[in-house]
Amino acid sequence: MTVPAHHPAPELLLDYAAGSLREVQSLLVAAHLAYCPDCRAQVAELEACGGVLLADLPPEPVSDTLFGTLMTRLGETAAPSSPVAAPAGRSVFPGPLRRAIGAEPEALEWVRVVPGVHLSAWAVSAGTASACLLRMASGARVPAHRHTDSEMLLVMKGGFSDEFGAYRVGDVASYETHTPHHAVADADGECLCLLVQDRPLVFTGPLGWLLNRGFRF
Amino acid sequence: MLPKADSNDPTMPDHEQLLLAVARNRDSTAFRALFDHFAPRIKAYMRRLGADSSAAEELVQDVMMAVWLRADRFDPALASASTWIYTIARNRRIDRVRQERRPELQPDDLMSEGGEEPTPDHQFEAAETAFRLRAVIGNLPPEQADVLRLAYYEDKVHAEISAERGIPLGTVKTRLRLALVRLRRAFGEGA
Repeated sequence: MTVPAHHPAPELLLDYAAGSLREVQSLLVAAHLAYCPDCRAQVAELEACGGVLLADLPPEPVSDTLFGTLMTRLGETAAPSSPVAAPAGRSVFPGPLRRAIGAEPEALEWVRVVPGVHLSAWAVSAGTASACLLRMASGARVPAHRHTDSEMLLVMKGGFSDEFGAYRVGDVASYETHTPHHAVADADGECLCLLVQDRPLVFTGPLGWLLNRGFRF
Repeated sequence: MLPKADSNDPTMPDHEQLLLAVARNRDSTAFRALFDHFAPRIKAYMRRLGADSSAAEELVQDVMMAVWLRADRFDPALASASTWIYTIARNRRIDRVRQERRPELQPDDLMSEGGEEPTPDHQFEAAETAFRLRAVIGNLPPEQADVLRLAYYEDKVHAEISAERGIPLGTVKTRLRLALVRLRRAFGEGA
């Protein structure tokens, strides 16, 4: 497997390392990190930056009793059991997403948008952002749509292309608000993506009203 | 360069040594020393991010409990003590204050085969890098240091920093990217 060619924006990695990025977008970043040694290195650097900033904060004295209270609590707390081993066998989902979904694609419910294009019934949302899975049959086209807010796709299986590039496993495609694009799945197999949006899509074109219903989650 | 070292090595950086003593020997004296150093800083971090004094002390307890219970997962080759404790503090705050889950990458999540991280040259490289990094952060132009601190201390994503400060989003991105380039140099120098 080659390393990804398309990455989340550097500011997004910073927001992730600084802890300000919300859960839904963090899920996409963490899932991309599973594929991308370069972004893992960058996040480690940005966390080191957080470490330096923490160490350099002017200290605020804590209550005299805090350490004693802590030791009492620790005396009452059993040592944590060692983390449960990852389930044997390869999952199509990277770890952070596998833990969030708790099932493989075959076990999920899918909603057909147009022939060959499905969205998962599984979805998470926080604030104005939401995430779900997008599945495209080989060669399938996602209908033209524009965005009222940003959209990101992480490819987990297969690949797709649009006006902006060709995306393979591990790649992140990012679209700014109001960027129409036409994604077409590669011809040689199904394409599975994590789709993160910051507001529901608004479809353009004759079937827009119908598709908008399908895309609302 | 520091030699390969264990927790008895006097040349090893202090806080890393203390954490290893907690991990290996459940050393409560070492833990007290870590608490005395980090608890007031964790409190300051939580206060900056909006916690009141008692909520901040609750979070300090949470973080320091995790430090005691999970010290065996600390690896001084990968992170300095303050970086490791920073990540715990950040994640505890997200759990407790924002009541969201923090999607994290775990060591066995890597999807590429043979794509292991390059092994650090020696055990305490992370702590040495932190020294260089501190100098780089200290020398950042004020407007770059400002956006960086806002990102870490105000729970604002870069788009919110732009809105709140009345700085165009493109300018915030430019400043952050310039700061990131300088930070990356601190890591390149160690190689």
